[in-house]
Amino acid sequence: MVQLVGSLRKELADSVSSCRVLVVGAGGIGCELLKNLVLTGFKNIEVIDLDTIDVSNLNRQFLFQKKHVGKSKAQVAKESVLQFCPEANITAYHDSIMNPDYNVEFFKNFMLVMNALDNRAARNHVNRMCLAANIPLIESGTAGYLGQVTVIKKGLTECYECQPKPTQKTFPGCTIRNTPSEPIHCIVWAKYLYNQLFGEEDADQEVSPDTADPEASWDPAQTAARAGASNQDGDIKRVSTKDWARSTGYDPVKIFNKLFKDDIMYLLTMDKLWKKRKAPQPLDWAVVQEMAYIQEEVSGQGLRDQQVLGVKGYAQLFCNSVETLRSQLAEKGEGAQLVWDKDDPPAMDFVTAAANLRMHVFSMNMKSRFDVKSMAGNIIPAIATTNAVIAGLIVLEALKILSGDLEQCRTKLLVPCALDPPNTNCYVCASKPEVTVKLNVHKTLVQSLQDKILKEKFGMVAPDVQIEDGKGTILISSEEGETDANNSKCLSEFGIRNGSRLQVDDFLQDYTLLVNLLHCEDLEKDVEFEVVGDAPDKAPPAPNVPEEDKNIANGNQDSALPSTSSKVPIEKDDVLIVDSDEEPSSSTMEAAVEMGGVKRKLEDVETGGAGSKRKRLFELPINDDDIIALD
Amino acid sequence: VIHKQIVSIPDTVISEEEAAQYDRQIRLWGLDAQKRLRGSHVLLVGLRGLGAEVAKNLILAGVKGLTLLDHEEVTEESCRAQFLIPVGSEGQNRAQASLERAQYLNPMVDVKADTEPVESKPDEFFLQFDAVCLTGCPRDLMIRIDQICSQKNVKVFCGDVFGYHGYMFSNLGPEHHYVEEKLKAVKPSEGTSDGPDTKKPKVDPSETTMVKKTASFCSLKEALEIDWTSEKAKASLKRTPADYFLLQVLLKFRTDKGRDPQPSSFADDSTILRQIRDDVLEAQGLASDLIPDEFVSYCFSEMAPVCAVVGGVLGQEIVKALSQRDAPHRNFFFFDGLKGSGVVDYFATK
Repeated sequence: MVQLVGSLRKELADSVSSCRVLVVGAGGIGCELLKNLVLTGFKNIEVIDLDTIDVSNLNRQFLFQKKHVGKSKAQVAKESVLQFCPEANITAYHDSIMNPDYNVEFFKNFMLVMNALDNRAARNHVNRMCLAANIPLIESGTAGYLGQVTVIKKGLTECYECQPKPTQKTFPGCTIRNTPSEPIHCIVWAKYLYNQLFGEEDADQEVSPDTADPEASWDPAQTAARAGASNQDGDIKRVSTKDWARSTGYDPVKIFNKLFKDDIMYLLTMDKLWKKRKAPQPLDWAVVQEMAYIQEEVSGQGLRDQQVLGVKGYAQLFCNSVETLRSQLAEKGEGAQLVWDKDDPPAMDFVTAAANLRMHVFSMNMKSRFDVKSMAGNIIPAIATTNAVIAGLIVLEALKILSGDLEQCRTKLLVPCALDPPNTNCYVCASKPEVTVKLNVHKTLVQSLQDKILKEKFGMVAPDVQIEDGKGTILISSEEGETDANNSKCLSEFGIRNGSRLQVDDFLQDYTLLVNLLHCEDLEKDVEFEVVGDAPDKAPPAPNVPEEDKNIANGNQDSALPSTSSKVPIEKDDVLIVDSDEEPSSSTMEAAVEMGGVKRKLEDVETGGAGSKRKRLFELPINDDDIIALD
Repeated sequence: VIHKQIVSIPDTVISEEEAAQYDRQIRLWGLDAQKRLRGSHVLLVGLRGLGAEVAKNLILAGVKGLTLLDHEEVTEESCRAQFLIPVGSEGQNRAQASLERAQYLNPMVDVKADTEPVESKPDEFFLQFDAVCLTGCPRDLMIRIDQICSQKNVKVFCGDVFGYHGYMFSNLGPEHHYVEEKLKAVKPSEGTSDGPDTKKPKVDPSETTMVKKTASFCSLKEALEIDWTSEKAKASLKRTPADYFLLQVLLKFRTDKGRDPQPSSFADDSTILRQIRDDVLEAQGLASDLIPDEFVSYCFSEMAPVCAVVGGVLGQEIVKALSQRDAPHRNFFFFDGLKGSGVVDYFATK
């Protein structure tokens, strides 16, 4: 006879109350998830989040109130939950999950890990830790009205990194510096400008006209003349933007005229750029002062921030924000730097003003502070209900895992979608992960290899790199200071050339990656390296067991053949949206894809090969990281 | 106090506090929608698991007022069932006990508790609201309230969770007006100041247009009283979710027993449930395997994650209807927590 404890059968209820689970993130999904877990009967929960509470969280992160703003999310979430479920045993960590303290042994304590994250780096990291610990991971994400839940289990399903994910959009330097054509280009420029003037100067964030723009292509004689002329102007090439600004005492009018008049006039001399484009029109401070302010719209119609000021208004805003930021900098003392934050009003004012002035110069319609903040701050709209639904689905999947029904787990969007088996070429979970990278061995520095390629691109935290040169030469050591001397040398100095192989280990992630290097001298402009075969449109086909056998028989040495894939049969006859023979009047699709609102399918990735009919509904980029990087 | 009209946007200014708190949702559904929400009054009947979820979602969304109506008392079980009632509230009225934590969710919403039984409320009571949401109500009561409300343009919503299963129903009236936001493709023209690259048509993601639409809904009575013995109904049976019939069974149990199936009488209630299933299906000339015997194991109590899913969908439907923005689900949403599948379907006799 079936025995029930609440809604659950007794065996399941017992598993639920005795197991230990980890929730990574205590934000939108995290709050809803914690609530669902304790109400379902989970007793032993650990939750980790490095963030503190902000007022903009309060429309959905319901465990927090206004009085909690500034406090630790994980800590307050725990306290709120204990209010309605005091018997729950909750441990809260105000910390980053990427802290090496949370090693494989830590993860092994849990029956199950559930992500409630908002950035890819952490997701990649947790993915690898769970693979290393061989613990099921429930991955999820939401953005606006859309949401998704999926289960990751080593050997049974794809890992989070099996399918290449779309990377954050980047723009070439000359577009930002010379020929912007969209508001976003001007906003990126304005953020760079902030850093050049007040923050950490970055060589990849130049704001001055780019004389090396191939489109401008002058002949050598002209170039020499220009070089001479620019010396006279005290051009940025000689003096950094920050030093120049300092020399003027951060005079807003001087800065304004340099950026929006002098630099623009300089661009105009690069006439080839303007043959097919509308030429920019310089702005002079004095002339702007003669203009009238734009009549402000009837108040009360929109938010104050949704107003679009005129040129004069933005010029004034520019001036005011420069003065405020100048003071902030002075207060911090010698050698100080500011860090841009969308929630810091003068920083946001500055970017709004600078971006809009540049938009005006380049004949674009100007944008309100509200809209600029969305773009500059990478804000993803969010509501309570989407998170509530997704968190409900997460717990339902968790119950399946606890019942021992992993094969019945489905990628969820209120409609079942079969999980795809592991990608055999996945450079993370394939048994002998391998990847090929194109770069210039004479130009790429060891430091760049570590920071831009291994850490940023491949998501490693503490890589150790050995050259496969028969001598086992150590290129990079994760131990502090051991290989610092190597950092400023280029790869070729270590005998690295075309075809060289590097063995890269990250012990924390229990992850070994073999990197094949191809020397290339004609990479695209501003591109430092290129991963071969990693682009989304070159995704390897979904594995098909018979083909693999064929490959082994033919002795195909090149493909990374994992021993872990397809050991457990994956159901091939599930109900799928595409294959379903239900008529469209039963609006499963609508219910799944949206809760309402613009049907904006963020990404629609079709898997190739055997699973070609399977259509993933969408891929959520969901990356709150404040980066619009320049490769 | 008779309060009506959700068509006009209040001319009030959104305060700094509201703008900051509602920022992430204003960026999604726009300021107009937020203003309409801000002018809406909602009645929520039933504060069990599903009720608490809907309450949370509506309060966070920023409606003007929410009345929590429930005449039942807090029991030991209901303490564990929802997150608004603090521990140690046994014996108190459920709506009253939920009030404090509900109010804390958003001090800008006027949250009230009403402890009277909903059956005792006169017709006019319901007409002071812009929307009414009924949970845990018997079938005939829901039908009656639906009739009172839809005549006067009060939006009606019903929902329940039975174990792993849940549903919601909506009746937004014969003519519900709303807008949908569509992306605008900007055609290039001479002198357009949308950037120097004026040659190609661009879709600027911030350039959108609002399209006006209308949807019509039938009554709850009509939706529940479909005659499945007719030829036409039989033809559509194949693509009808079995959950619709399961709902009929569970509503009948609620009417007959005056309560929902409870774990403490699992054996007896299971027997009754199976009997009702046989009766309901037979009366409609339907095969009894439409709802297999095991169903009884999965419709007791309210599963928290199912309350979260149904409460999320239901909450969002109420938000859409009040803000008159985005296409409403029409007219049922069924969620099966075992399969993890959610289906929207339209049931009407005509």
